Amino acid sequence: MNALWSLTLAPLPLGGTYLLKRAWATPDQNRAWFILAGWSVMILAIAASVPLLGVARGPFSVLTLGSVAALALVAVGVERRDARKKVVRELAPEPSDRKHIVWRGWLRGFLAGPLAGVAALGCGLAVAICAPGQIQSRMVVGGFMIPFLWAGGMAWTLSDDKILRACAVMTGVATVTLGAAFLKGAL
Amino acid sequence: MDGSSAAARTKGKAAKPIWPKIPAAFVRAMLAGHSALGLAFAALIYLVCFSGSIAVFTYEYQRWEQPAGPVLREVSPRAADAAFREALAKTPGAHELFLRLPEPAAPRLSVRAEDTKGHERTWIADASGKIVAEQNTPWSTFQAELHTALHLPRAWGGFIVGLTGVALLSSLVSGVLSHPRVFKDAFALRWGGSKRLQEADLHNRISVWGLPFHLVVSLTGAFLGLTVIIVGVLALATFRGDTSKAYALFRGPTVQDDPRPAQKVIDVAAILARLRVVYPDGRATYLVVEHPGEVGQHASGNIVREGRLSRGETVVLDADGKILGEVGYESGSVGMRLLSAMTPLHFGWFGGWPVKVAYLLLGLGLTTVTSSGVAIWLARRRDKGRPAPRWERVWIALVWSQPAAYAFSALVSLCSPTPKPVAAWGLATFAACALAIAAAPAALSIALRRISAGLIAMVAVTHVALHARQMADPVGWIVDAALLATALGLGATTTVRTPKVFRARKFD
Repeated sequence: MNALWSLTLAPLPLGGTYLLKRAWATPDQNRAWFILAGWSVMILAIAASVPLLGVARGPFSVLTLGSVAALALVAVGVERRDARKKVVRELAPEPSDRKHIVWRGWLRGFLAGPLAGVAALGCGLAVAICAPGQIQSRMVVGGFMIPFLWAGGMAWTLSDDKILRACAVMTGVATVTLGAAFLKGAL
Repeated sequence: MDGSSAAARTKGKAAKPIWPKIPAAFVRAMLAGHSALGLAFAALIYLVCFSGSIAVFTYEYQRWEQPAGPVLREVSPRAADAAFREALAKTPGAHELFLRLPEPAAPRLSVRAEDTKGHERTWIADASGKIVAEQNTPWSTFQAELHTALHLPRAWGGFIVGLTGVALLSSLVSGVLSHPRVFKDAFALRWGGSKRLQEADLHNRISVWGLPFHLVVSLTGAFLGLTVIIVGVLALATFRGDTSKAYALFRGPTVQDDPRPAQKVIDVAAILARLRVVYPDGRATYLVVEHPGEVGQHASGNIVREGRLSRGETVVLDADGKILGEVGYESGSVGMRLLSAMTPLHFGWFGGWPVKVAYLLLGLGLTTVTSSGVAIWLARRRDKGRPAPRWERVWIALVWSQPAAYAFSALVSLCSPTPKPVAAWGLATFAACALAIAAAPAALSIALRRISAGLIAMVAVTHVALHARQMADPVGWIVDAALLATALGLGATTTVRTPKVFRARKFD
């Protein structure tokens, strides 16, 4: 039954993506209307999936199938270029040109890995131990925050050119959150 | 994501961009972080993504490896009880028996038991509950364990996979923040011309349109992988390091352990019948019987209901079939319900086969994103006059080693009476990577794709030759047909003419 409803709903995100692609490919005076219609059909697909597939199951099914539909439309519109012609260069963003200094590399790795991980663990623990609510919910929500915060910390510490600032913030967060968690120390 | 792309579209007058303008310095800094992280974890992310894409169909591989069945849509409680008792008789002293009941994705009745020496065995039963065969699915187990723990000790393997999930999630964050043309290039896929721009288009389009899936699988994967360390630290802070107390919070009602022999062994039929009465809208998918034959014997039944994004509700019952309570995966707190949704969300086991196929395609898309990310970095180096030919060869060898290694391990698993798929996989991966010493990237790519296609086709043909006469499960034929189609498709990619610019650079 799930498979049947998923397939029945699949044309909706496909149609929504098609309308968005139409707006993208032909930027005329109707562009805004196509964008509005495209997103409206997407929202309709998600709304329709709730009674048919379930409150959480439906939207996730539609988002998954919608991603495939969108990628299929992207693939259909592939533009083949002549390899023999000289490619027109554009001003593409380039990564920051950092000087290769060994200690900065190691420090950045330490910040993004262990220190960001400890800081994220501290935040998760602080929520699990100090936040209000049921024990299991606190633990799961706190646990769920850890990979997300670790990933955010990793992205920041690897990108920020001011490495000592990142180091100070991470150390501070880790100290405060772990301190709070271990001081309270009981669920 | 690489911010590279070709010249702006020429159709019509360019509309005002919707996306707020991101400062160039910020984009450049994000790109630097994105690039460093992607390169540091590229091989691990690639392996975890590839193995995860394949692992979506774990149930189907189990059916394919043993296609003789019996294929069962439903069994009576009496039949389940008979299978349980026969398995218990085969493993006297077993502390735990896992009775899996037929469900659409896995239409089998099976019982897993661990004997006193710690050896696990699983048997398959027919519709009457009579055991007809021992379950033997080494390749399915191999590929699942490669994804969940990389065949390392469980705690370490899980941690490394979890850390890889964090790195992937971090790459998604920095990738989105370093993509200033997210709407402007929303549907652009330009093929040919500059290698770097082609790979950037591929990388960015898959990344953006697959973003909901990428976020879900990386977040849930990181959480599942890091569970051991999260619970360990939590237990350290609150239970003096006793992790069992932390896990006990998620186990529902506890039954006192009492090893004295019981007057009669637990009645599985009565328990299943009871569950049917109490949960008329649900279907029992498995039953775990603990300490069978002891006074403290009890069971935990898993009930799945339509329309819920959940692994199911677990109900604890005593030996008389009295319900002691629910764990709370569906009826409990927000946290319990969130926890219950993790596994189905991560593996795509919630929307029937269309969602599974979508997960496979999107998972392979994420694998392609990883591969193209490194390819962009290598092409950028080449464009700047600092080529890294050795890394170009190694990366292309690693990328195309996996289809070949997976197919080789499946072939060995099918043909050997005592298969060691992980050894076959390791050997094939090593051999493919060793080719990087001699061959140029383009030749290496073509050779490995052809070898992969040949091996995949051989797996399908060998499977049909070995099982055609007793292929009771249609999934056996479907997987073989899918393998042949994959082999043909992969082979066909090697017949497409390589653009001149790539051949000149000997980099594919």
